[in-house]
Amino acid sequence: MKVFFAITFCVLVLLSVVAWQMKPDPPPGKIPLVWVSDDNPARRQQIALFNQLHPEYDLRLDPRASTAGMEKVMLQSLAGVGPDVFDAYGPSELDAFVRSGIAWDITDELAKRGVDLEGEVWPAILPTGIREERVYGFPANVAVDAIWINKDLFDAAGERYPEGPWTWAEFIELAKRLNVRDARGRIKQFGFLCDWWQWPQFIMLFGGHIYSEDGTRCVIDSPEAIEAIQFMRDLMYKHHIMPTPVDEATMATMGGWGSGTITYFGAGKGAMALGGRWWLCTLRDYEGLNLGVVEIPHEEERIYRAYGRATIINRYSPRREDALNFLLYQAGKEYNDLINQQADALAAIVRYNYTPEFLHNPEHPEEDYNEVWRDVVKYGRSDDWSPFVNGQTAMRILNKQLDLVKSDQKPVPKAMRDAAREVNEEIAKTLEMDPSLRIKYYRLTGRERPE
Amino acid sequence: MRRAHPGTEEKRPGDFSAWWYRRGRFTASHVLLVLMAVTMLVPFMWMVLASFKSLQEVEQLNPIPSVWRFENYLNVFEQVSFARYYFNSIFIAAWVTFLQCLTSAMAAYAFARLQWRGRDTVFRLYLATLMIPGVVLMIPNYTLMVKLHLLDSYLGLIVPASFSAFGTFLLRQFMLTIPSALDEAAAIDGASPWQIFWDVIMPLSRAGLVTLGIFTFLGNYGSFFWPLILIKSEHLRTLPIGMLYFDTVYGRQTNLIMAASVMNIIPLVILFVAAQKHIVRGVQLGAVKG
Amino acid sequence: MRRRHELRAALGFLLPNLIGFGVFTAGPVLFSLAISISNWHLHRTVAFQWIALRNFVELLHDRDFWLYSINTAYLMLGIPVAIAGSLFLAIVLSQRLRGIVVYRTLFYLPTFTSGVALMLLWKALYNPEFGALNAAINWWLDSLHLNELVQALGGGGVSAPTWLLSTKNMLGLDVEQIRIIPGQWGLGARDALIIMGIWIAIGGNNMLLYLAGVSNIPPELVEAAQLDGAGRWAIFRNVTWPQLAPTTFFIVVMSFIGGLQGGFEQARVMTLGGPAGTTTTISYYIYTKAFEEFQIGYAAALSWVLFSAIFVITMINWRLGHKELHY
Repeated sequence: MKVFFAITFCVLVLLSVVAWQMKPDPPPGKIPLVWVSDDNPARRQQIALFNQLHPEYDLRLDPRASTAGMEKVMLQSLAGVGPDVFDAYGPSELDAFVRSGIAWDITDELAKRGVDLEGEVWPAILPTGIREERVYGFPANVAVDAIWINKDLFDAAGERYPEGPWTWAEFIELAKRLNVRDARGRIKQFGFLCDWWQWPQFIMLFGGHIYSEDGTRCVIDSPEAIEAIQFMRDLMYKHHIMPTPVDEATMATMGGWGSGTITYFGAGKGAMALGGRWWLCTLRDYEGLNLGVVEIPHEEERIYRAYGRATIINRYSPRREDALNFLLYQAGKEYNDLINQQADALAAIVRYNYTPEFLHNPEHPEEDYNEVWRDVVKYGRSDDWSPFVNGQTAMRILNKQLDLVKSDQKPVPKAMRDAAREVNEEIAKTLEMDPSLRIKYYRLTGRERPE
Repeated sequence: MRRAHPGTEEKRPGDFSAWWYRRGRFTASHVLLVLMAVTMLVPFMWMVLASFKSLQEVEQLNPIPSVWRFENYLNVFEQVSFARYYFNSIFIAAWVTFLQCLTSAMAAYAFARLQWRGRDTVFRLYLATLMIPGVVLMIPNYTLMVKLHLLDSYLGLIVPASFSAFGTFLLRQFMLTIPSALDEAAAIDGASPWQIFWDVIMPLSRAGLVTLGIFTFLGNYGSFFWPLILIKSEHLRTLPIGMLYFDTVYGRQTNLIMAASVMNIIPLVILFVAAQKHIVRGVQLGAVKG
Repeated sequence: MRRRHELRAALGFLLPNLIGFGVFTAGPVLFSLAISISNWHLHRTVAFQWIALRNFVELLHDRDFWLYSINTAYLMLGIPVAIAGSLFLAIVLSQRLRGIVVYRTLFYLPTFTSGVALMLLWKALYNPEFGALNAAINWWLDSLHLNELVQALGGGGVSAPTWLLSTKNMLGLDVEQIRIIPGQWGLGARDALIIMGIWIAIGGNNMLLYLAGVSNIPPELVEAAQLDGAGRWAIFRNVTWPQLAPTTFFIVVMSFIGGLQGGFEQARVMTLGGPAGTTTTISYYIYTKAFEEFQIGYAAALSWVLFSAIFVITMINWRLGHKELHY
């Protein structure tokens, strides 16, 4: 036994020497920069391009988890070892980073370097980087969803490809005709695929809001919001053109939670799907897909949900001045052209979406629908958020109620009323906790603080 | 009652009825085992088959791929530094297993075989630390790693995991079953506790050590959260972190995840097959004890 | 004389573990105890304060906390089944059968695989229509004509459960309130997780522990019992079971600890705590509070409540263990 332990120890020491030897040397004379973002082929190309354009730097990726990935940056920054740059996915994440004091206010730095963010970036995406008129994050891309169509399935059904503008009534009729049933009468191919987490999109499409404009109240129980959610529910349970959770689980042999719809659509289980240009990052891997894109149906309101990443510099990074070069890179032509070419959504800088290469990517001549993507961004609006409640807490509450709607367990108006009430209770709790918010809240509402 | 028992098989008298009896029991156990094994195996066969499918076909119901895409496995190696992640995972888990078995066995010996005042109280304190939810220790431990400059290093992954109340508890339970006459005899012969530990107790605890070894290796090999926040450099990443690449916000490459998972399991199966013999060898060692 | 000598030796043997312990566990534990009485929040705008027991008071009024506690307890219902199954399997697998290595490895396979792969596997098994489980259930429903029977009696028809998508459960627990309602009676996500847990655990670590325990039983004891003419059940009752007492004690204690702390991995990779929060356990709630909602102080308070619960249950186990298992 003693001998066994001794031998194991020696082997492990030997392995350690080997492991230590295999350590790649950092490129000499280069300034290291660390970027926390999700790991994927697009991101790696973006890094390679930066390192090529800026040979003085050695930018590396530090992956974050694909769901709920803020813990890494928060924890690292708390211990004083945060990355140099990191990404925020949406206004509520930006808010969390700003409020925990780790996002660097780059308003003046950008101005000094002649970057006019508000003049150059798509307006819809500005809220992912700006908080109270100060710039903290640089929009890295912008996404606005539209309806993907699988042309082969349209051809098989003998339907013409839809063209915008069109209405929801037309959409529903078309989708019904695109349902394909099997011998037992079960729908095996759906007219429309849509992730349930798209519900904020529908609220926006129907002119509703999650929060009041000043963020002091959750208004998800407004008639517009209720109508939107009711509509989504009806797509599943009344019109039967969108898979219910049970349908979805039935047609999936695999596929995941959340990212399911892309894979179902790629596998030809739906003729239309609600999604963004960034789906191409995955859909290009599917062989023989024949795709088209059409604007989301709309009536008088023409508002679509705009979302995207914003890159933030760590305020405590010793290399934050160097990190600025990475943001400037994101403002430049090479990066934005790369984003467009990769189809990592759309370039956040307006003018790079007006190049011939954007409209017709020579590597992907079949993608003849890029004009649609550019067109819908003009009508984009950023997610609602409230400074008076933690975005994640609110989402937990809202999703709980929406889960019950999704499985048709609770009537929509009641679920929305309960959701609004619970979020508003949470707002009250947050005010209790944070005096600075309390002051702001009473200033906005004009109410006196009850003592 | 179908319960069988070790050691009874050979001990039965060899007359005809006993032979029949044995035969019948043998078959019954086999049928039952095969049935259960199938329920365990089918999902894994299906996972292996899925790892050869194309991205479209992964979503289809047919279990057998229409075209066998062996290149999925190559793709995993091409797209990420899978070999390096492999090495790191095994290397780190091996160190942790070694250290944990050693420190736990020593502590367990002190708790199970030595007599000292306050022993059970100290042991209960040990046990209590097992009950503290790990999440809340994350922040102080992480800060500690930063202070000790163990961030982004093998040591940061190995050292904190090398001390385990679980392992101590487990081995203590094993050592308790060893007859006390053995080490008393050794002590009368003038052996020091250190000698008794290595020459008497450790060999008799082999089954426990192997069990703990398997648990520790497995637990560490699959750990996700700690490496995720501790490691920054690509060359130090472990398999679970590396596999994030296939499961991103842009969608999931399910076939590659399956291929990677199949490869992920292989070292564990090898380890298990090699190690499980030693659990059984305890049967022979048992004879020594009487 | 001998005692003092052994105390010194014991210290020597404990030292490596004690050092590691002091640094990586004791310190952080005290730290977390301290912050549980603070309002520590990762947002800088929330000024750090000592707030005594306010976190704990708030926790009493936190309905989610109670709902998630119930979820945690509910998910532990599979533990006794899993332990009994492991014991049975270990006894069967301790025989010298041909191909025993293959069996052991197969039964241990589920423990090898973790995370995404396992999640995808089980999602497929729980497929409401094509999954193996429901295919079997539907077959039984059809062949027994249960549907006709229920409809003839004026019922609404029986259908196979939708498993991971459903908030139903065996006890009929409501989703939003702490009460039992008939509409929730059935099989749902929580039951799916219990079944999966049993499937994973039955041939897993506990089986291995029992296997090691069984192989440590001196064959003489069994032989002696056989000479006395004891049957298999009698041998099990009088020899095997008492001899396995320390192992059983260990497994029971660890299963309870694991169960109370459990559900984190499943929730993180498989269900994200849903549908409608029904698979959120206390440990996942702690994670959410700390790393998504940044209320570190509150999360620490939650942890200490969980710790207390585990401590009390372990002490009860300990007492019972002393009585029942002679240990």
